[in-house]
Amino acid sequence: MRSVYLLLLSVHFGFVLGLWPLPRSLQTGTSTLRLAPNFGIDIDDAHAPADLKEAISRTKAFLKSDKLGRLVVGRGAEDSDALQRAKSLETLKLSLAHGAPARSITDEARLAIGTRREEYELHVPVDGSAATLIANSTLGLFRGLTTFEQLWYEWAGQIYTVEAPISISDSPAYPFRGFMLDTSRNFFPVSDIKRTLDAMSWVKMSQFHWHVTDSQSFPLEVPGFTDLASKGAYSSSMVYSPSDVRDIVSYAGARGIDVMIEIDTPGHTAIISAAHPEHVACAQASPWGTFANEPPAGQLRLASAATTNFTANLLAAVARMSPSTLLSTGGDELNTECYAQDPETQADLKATNRTLEQALDIFTRTTHAAIRAEGKTPAVWEEMVLEHNVTLGNDTVVMVWISSANAAAVAAKNFRIVHGPSDFFYLDCGAGEWIGDDVANSWCDPFKTWQKSYTFDPLANISASQAHLVLGGEQLLWTEQSGPENLDSIVWPRAASSAEVFWSGPGGNLSTALPRLHDVAFRMRQRGVKAIQLQPLWCALRPGQCNIDS
Amino acid sequence: MGPARPYALVLLAFFTRCALALWPIPRSLVGGTTPVKLSPSFSIDLGDVHDPPADLLAAASRSRSRLDSDRFQRLVLGRGASDTGAIARAHTLHSVSLALCPGSLVRSIADETNKPIDSKSESYELWIPTNDTRAMLTANSTLGLLRGLTTFEQLWYDYGGVKYMLDGPLRIVDEPAFPYRGFSFDTSRNFYPVSDILRTIDAMSWVKLSVLYWHIIDSQSFPLGIPAFPELSEKGAYSLDEIYTGDDVQRIIKFANERGVDVVVEMDWPGHTTAISSAYPEHIACASKSPWSKYASEPPAGQLRIASPSTLSFAQTLFASVAQMLPGTMMSSGGDEVNLPCWEEDEQTKADLARRNITIDDALNEFVQTVQGVIVEHGKTPFIKSDMVLTHNAPVVDDTVVVVWQKSEDATAVAQRGLRLIHQPSNYFYLDCGGGEWLGNDVLGNSWCDPFKTWQRAYSFDPYTNLTIQQFSLVLGGQMPLWSEQSSPENLDPIVWPRLAAGAEVFWTGATLPDGLPRLNTNATASTHALARLNELRYRMVDRGVNAIALQPKWCVLRPGECDLES
Repeated sequence: MRSVYLLLLSVHFGFVLGLWPLPRSLQTGTSTLRLAPNFGIDIDDAHAPADLKEAISRTKAFLKSDKLGRLVVGRGAEDSDALQRAKSLETLKLSLAHGAPARSITDEARLAIGTRREEYELHVPVDGSAATLIANSTLGLFRGLTTFEQLWYEWAGQIYTVEAPISISDSPAYPFRGFMLDTSRNFFPVSDIKRTLDAMSWVKMSQFHWHVTDSQSFPLEVPGFTDLASKGAYSSSMVYSPSDVRDIVSYAGARGIDVMIEIDTPGHTAIISAAHPEHVACAQASPWGTFANEPPAGQLRLASAATTNFTANLLAAVARMSPSTLLSTGGDELNTECYAQDPETQADLKATNRTLEQALDIFTRTTHAAIRAEGKTPAVWEEMVLEHNVTLGNDTVVMVWISSANAAAVAAKNFRIVHGPSDFFYLDCGAGEWIGDDVANSWCDPFKTWQKSYTFDPLANISASQAHLVLGGEQLLWTEQSGPENLDSIVWPRAASSAEVFWSGPGGNLSTALPRLHDVAFRMRQRGVKAIQLQPLWCALRPGQCNIDS
Repeated sequence: MGPARPYALVLLAFFTRCALALWPIPRSLVGGTTPVKLSPSFSIDLGDVHDPPADLLAAASRSRSRLDSDRFQRLVLGRGASDTGAIARAHTLHSVSLALCPGSLVRSIADETNKPIDSKSESYELWIPTNDTRAMLTANSTLGLLRGLTTFEQLWYDYGGVKYMLDGPLRIVDEPAFPYRGFSFDTSRNFYPVSDILRTIDAMSWVKLSVLYWHIIDSQSFPLGIPAFPELSEKGAYSLDEIYTGDDVQRIIKFANERGVDVVVEMDWPGHTTAISSAYPEHIACASKSPWSKYASEPPAGQLRIASPSTLSFAQTLFASVAQMLPGTMMSSGGDEVNLPCWEEDEQTKADLARRNITIDDALNEFVQTVQGVIVEHGKTPFIKSDMVLTHNAPVVDDTVVVVWQKSEDATAVAQRGLRLIHQPSNYFYLDCGGGEWLGNDVLGNSWCDPFKTWQRAYSFDPYTNLTIQQFSLVLGGQMPLWSEQSSPENLDPIVWPRLAAGAEVFWTGATLPDGLPRLNTNATASTHALARLNELRYRMVDRGVNAIALQPKWCVLRPGECDLES
């Protein structure tokens, strides 16, 4: 009866504490298997792309350096006897499925959203014979390596699992599994962004949404438009140069992450006035509350042909800096009072006999045409679809942010959707008011817990016939109250919540998720990412004993 | 010390020029408009202090090196570029002379810090002249000199390597409104290495905080290595690497005392003690009993067997062993959140009560008297949590200091009993609130003390609310706590700083700002200015390696007032 009891335990608690996101199909045993001291990862293709070879090297390094003890009382001391008897695994063999292209991970990660191949199969036999990882692309192999890394624990110098044999067949539920970082309200050095990309890749996230500029600062050096950063960045040391951008996008690509740059227009552009006052209406107009959602006020003069051309050329120049197929032109929180009180805009509207909405339509069509000419598919915030009457290409990606309830309306208009709802996914909420002279809480209170994010349903109120429109979603960090000082702690491990929702699909069990989320957070800390503690260590070592009902 | 200064000048210096950004704001300050800079060979001169103690020399040395290493530029557009003319014509200071007032004894900062809480002298007077090359810092104690050095460090900005300020001549006459200005720190729910504690103490000293209230142990782990009871930490700590040895404790206390920070160790008894059961199961009732919610406020359940004479004796000896490790004059026996069903269902406790023919209340009273007796016997002032007094009516010694924690209103009831108190109300000061539920399987739960306590909320606290003038003297000060269920070294700095500085200024300045106006709400200029000063403190902290969070976009920081609600 003892073996039955153990089996039940393993099913109930899902001993696979380490895997995040949870694979779509997973079978495990109860045997201990250790990595041989000479463990190696082989790839049968001598012409494997360089970034795959580098990924293999990183995996091998993590297997040695993670040194993560199992999250149980004793941290693995109880495994000593089993370890002495355990078989050794000497090899993990990687192979691409017959006929699969041997493109780089980077190239695969940058394919159009919805056409990337991320599936893989991983088998770790119990008898020490070679483990196998097979996929239809190098990107799939990379995802499988990420899973393989999460299988192993360390005790007394041995690297081992207690769940062999392991058999995994895995693929993502949604292709867009993202994180958005605002680098305008406060600046983040390249090293912080790279560390964040690393952590994203460990939970199989696929998309970095880089909200690089906003009204407060313009930290992006754009060829042909260098005065925007030289006059609009917080300082000359707070600028992303073109080589920084190349560095970031190639670092991301090698980790299976596509980088979607956003230049938020026509709102959120006050700082452009530092270099080009002629293009910005109501720049720093007071009271800001009349002209913008937050200080400083300022929006591009969308009715001006010169400003429209300037913006189209700027966006095209940014598009040329980015290898992604996606580029976001933003479009949130447009303030009409700013234009109503701007004499230049009123004169332009009158001269062309257009309404503001008509001018916005022309502005958007022009800027989108410019980035399409550079091969990009535009992404926009939801207001462009729900609040304005703007002509958009059918393939435009619409990012829902104001409320999760708005996704259905976007779907009804037959646009592709990325979920970023403030009521589930805003990482910055709940830390109080940043506006001065106001004793208040944040506009999107309360704090969005990992539990709240984890309960998100991507298909809520979306019909089966519209389900194909949902590309996935992202958690977002707006940085009015964040900087390098708290980047890791405010993002991790919470952002892993949506990574699992959009990889494994919704409906996950919060109780069984918690020990796995602990595990991924502990592993992140071992790797130098300052993920916060979700519970006292006492609880982390005793799954289920700190439940509200235990 | 110095004569009273007209407040109108203070207002001029602070609210119109906004050049100085001191935190906490001095009680009295008169500034001019003449720029002053430090000579490259600037020195801190202790020649007037007879036989200066080593920790004062070390403090002066730290200040001197910070004057070089702080590269903090003024938080204005251009970061000081517009000050080049002023710097060129600035009056040059060659030294600051430190002196004790006539009749003052020369004792170490640590000795001054370890004096009884209500007898410390922290006042100082600082004079930055524009007709002399020598600044003057005077105080009644080396502790006062340390506070003055801290202020002196905050005066200077860097531009092109020159350290300057714009408000000379400047006279500051300063002293705290309350002696107890603390930070309560939980190192049991999750562990923090010594280096994190030292960095936190350093930062505390920069805002003139005076007490680290060290909630060192709790039910989850027992990280305190007690020489006479080594098995408590060997079996009750999270690991052998997560123990504060006796040497660690001495090192931390010495480091703190030399920085004007006293250390109050809390042994939170008789509840919050489950971790003792790893080594001494015989002393713990309902250890890890399920469902935990019936037996404790949070998992795991477990409390000392207060009715057992052998447990009482164990507690007495253990408490004495810890008291002997501590040079300070204060110690806490905690006492919050005791749970009656834990004892009511414990067979041994039931038997002990029956055999001795006493009630749980009797046993609890006996327990409190016993541990307080140990504290008093060791020459220390006992601290206790407010529910032990208000809920359990425990018979505490007269000079007990009550830690008011459940809600700010409880201070009134404590004061009505004539007991001294410190403010630590969860509805103003808890740094951990608002981070969501940490208990498992609570689908959409938020933290019990939601919402997040903003710096503005903490800053709006009035230490005298609902107290009569006669009761004012019972208030020793207050502290902001960090409970560590969801905190650890990874987020220590960002969750604590700069919010903890809000409490530091509340208890340095008192019920109002020095000009007599409230800190927030009805005093728009002051609250705008408080944010500007707090922004500056945050940037200075980041420059010194403390990961304090941003309170605003930098755009706003460089333009004080332009991101206000009505601007």
